[in-house]
Amino acid sequence: MNATKRTPRFLSVRGMGAALTAFAGLIVIYIAFGLIDRTMFSGANIMNLLRSMSKYLLIGIGQSYVLITGNIDLSIGSVVGMSAMTSATLMVAGVNPVLAILITLLCCLVVGLINGFLVGQFKLPPFIATLGTMFVARGIAYMVNGNRNTNAISSGIGKEAADAFQNFFYYGSTAGVYNTFWIALILFLIFFFLLSKTRTGRHIYAIGSNVDAAKLSGVSVVTTVTKTYLVSAFCAGVVGLILCAQAGMGNMEAGNMYEMYGVAAGVIGGVSPLGGTGLLLGTLAGAAVWQTLENGLSIIHAPVGIQRIVIGIIVVFAVLLDVVFRKGLLSRKGSKS
Amino acid sequence: MKDMNETIVSMKGICKTFPGVKALDNVQLELRSGEVLALLGENGAGKSTLMKILSGVYTRDSGTMEIFGREYGDLTPKQAQEIGVAIIHQELNMCRHLSVAENMFLGRETCRGMVLANREMESEAQRVLDELKIDIDPRQVVGDLPVSKQQMVEIAKALSTKARILIMDEPTSALTSKEIDELFRIIRQLKESGYGIIYISHRLEELQHIVDRVSIMRDGQYITSMNFKDATMDEIIAHMVGREIKEKFPRVTCEKGKKIFEVKHLNAGRMVRDVSFDLYEGEIVGFAGLMGAGRTEATRAIFGVDPKDGGELILVGQPVTIHKPQDAIRAGIVLAPEDRKKDGLCTKLSIRHNIALPNLDLLCGPLGVVNRQKEDAMCQQAVEDLKIKTPGVDIDAGNLSGGNQQKVVVGKWLARNSRVVIFDEPTRGIDVAAKVEIYNLMNHLKQQGIAVMFVSSEMPEVMGIADRIIVMCDGRITGEVMARETTQNEILTLATKFESKIAAAAE
Repeated sequence: MNATKRTPRFLSVRGMGAALTAFAGLIVIYIAFGLIDRTMFSGANIMNLLRSMSKYLLIGIGQSYVLITGNIDLSIGSVVGMSAMTSATLMVAGVNPVLAILITLLCCLVVGLINGFLVGQFKLPPFIATLGTMFVARGIAYMVNGNRNTNAISSGIGKEAADAFQNFFYYGSTAGVYNTFWIALILFLIFFFLLSKTRTGRHIYAIGSNVDAAKLSGVSVVTTVTKTYLVSAFCAGVVGLILCAQAGMGNMEAGNMYEMYGVAAGVIGGVSPLGGTGLLLGTLAGAAVWQTLENGLSIIHAPVGIQRIVIGIIVVFAVLLDVVFRKGLLSRKGSKS
Repeated sequence: MKDMNETIVSMKGICKTFPGVKALDNVQLELRSGEVLALLGENGAGKSTLMKILSGVYTRDSGTMEIFGREYGDLTPKQAQEIGVAIIHQELNMCRHLSVAENMFLGRETCRGMVLANREMESEAQRVLDELKIDIDPRQVVGDLPVSKQQMVEIAKALSTKARILIMDEPTSALTSKEIDELFRIIRQLKESGYGIIYISHRLEELQHIVDRVSIMRDGQYITSMNFKDATMDEIIAHMVGREIKEKFPRVTCEKGKKIFEVKHLNAGRMVRDVSFDLYEGEIVGFAGLMGAGRTEATRAIFGVDPKDGGELILVGQPVTIHKPQDAIRAGIVLAPEDRKKDGLCTKLSIRHNIALPNLDLLCGPLGVVNRQKEDAMCQQAVEDLKIKTPGVDIDAGNLSGGNQQKVVVGKWLARNSRVVIFDEPTRGIDVAAKVEIYNLMNHLKQQGIAVMFVSSEMPEVMGIADRIIVMCDGRITGEVMARETTQNEILTLATKFESKIAAAAE
């Protein structure tokens, strides 16, 4: 008898409303800018948009994993820098790019593992634990090459290999779309699958919703929390490689503030910073909203400051909606008698 | 299901000590399949502790525990669950963001390869729900369900783990009559299929609808068990109350003076319904009742912590409006709250800062700078008046003993000329000597002409200290008695006078 009023499975997914709202906002913003300046709609601009948003998408995926458990990862911006510096330094030293990539990602995962231990095992407040690793990882980024940015990677591995590396992560394209976007899209699909279709994904939501209930139901909180920090560190590592490829060298300040861009992308897309809800589809929309604003405002020659102000307002507004919505839920429940 | 009336749980000689308290002393319990056993006792009798041992939340100090004929040592919650013991806690433990099916299968999801088999889990959940004739869509989000349905989901979750022993702690406290009917229907159904159910409730009148046997505990000890059919209500209450009241309650007689405070038709949410009473100079008014009777809620509404839906407060003939605690404090109505550590004290601040906190308006100069001399004087006064045992006023309040903490809570209010002091469970968790000091403190206030409102769930102390006792049950005042003329049985009868939610339905 219940079968009659069932909604389609797709629409009944929790968090879909917020994600679709973010997509609607994206379309409105995109068209609004396009009406002011038609360059917004040009094929070249769309390609650029997709490539630039990929960084925010990847960092947002990692941060969303952590946010959904009700935690936060402040270290990922520094991990981006660490990744860019480590990979560049290795390549300048002549290490094969593939090997350099593997070593770099491994280093990033170590940071994730430490975060996971601090928050999961030792129950440190995630804000503090990852604040600590944020400084440490940035410090490592400085020290890798003796407190200097690196030389061009082509000086170590040669022009051909450097071009291959840079094309793979940034400048090259496949089927008319920049490789950066393909990489982001493939990782997005993998992590989307892991979060929405697997047991670990389910446990991530359960922990964010009610960690005690999850524990009493036999969910291993330590393992699951550690996994989320591994995902966020891995995504940050990939972003670092992209930035390295873009610059063709390592920049010590690479990824500065990215941890917050990740929070913004997630939150705009409906990922609750209080845990328990959110879809990566929303994060995708959030990253796109962010990049479209950045892109659109620069096309219409708005001052850089305006861009920050607009984004700040949108982030607060998105969370405000979430809080108001939750409060509404609670008071509805409370007044029931 | 065929093996009815076979002993499935047998606990013997169970002891459990918490720091400073002997919570369980040589307690026994027996549960048979296909029966509902009511575990009864006053607050603090040790029922919940015993159940937490059975479900693996606590470990026992000594005693034996046999479940399904097998002897078990210390259990973890997970092991207990695997053996087939499921507990449904009073406060619900669900992931509000997840669906019914997801909650039911949390921690033991069905997977196909790596992928969650959502449809399978949903149809299995549906099957369990159908079996229990519970009309809930397993795909619904738990947070959207009313509390009663969430409780049904907890039961369904317990049963889907193949539990054969079900512990329910006050399951009906949040339910309406129709929902209670529904719950009882399910309990009867489970009983017929051979489940053993332990049912904890204060609502004695409910028992007749489902219970087979009762076990009674008091003060951490096992008192007796009997078939429900053979017992009368009076007999059960007498066993629950049991003890004699000794003269450990210093009473001071004062002349009852003029009316100080009047509460008229106070309403606040579900737990405070049409509450009216008066407080007079020179008397302590006790508020008795069971846990969850709405007494704490009433004090919070009066003090302005929780919003009021209606009602009038009159202080010395003048109506007062209280929207927030500052209003109450300014009017001279103050509260020593139930949970000292959570609501009463800033445990990480010093005694000095705690006492000064609500009095900063008196202590600060025009620029908002605290006058250290006045502060010192105020703290010194409080420490002396209340005999707070401490090496100095700059010690963290959290380091004091429970009794001394309570004195600090009271001390911070005495610095102002308060007219009404509300004590909510002031003696909980403190030793006997400190209790007597708290009683003396209340007597002291009473002699000064301050109206004292004294909420307590420990009947002997209410009867020993209060002059007049108001009894609440389920958010309403169910009676008022003079402490000298009443008996514990009378109070307990009033305290369990629930509105007959189930009488109509039972017909």
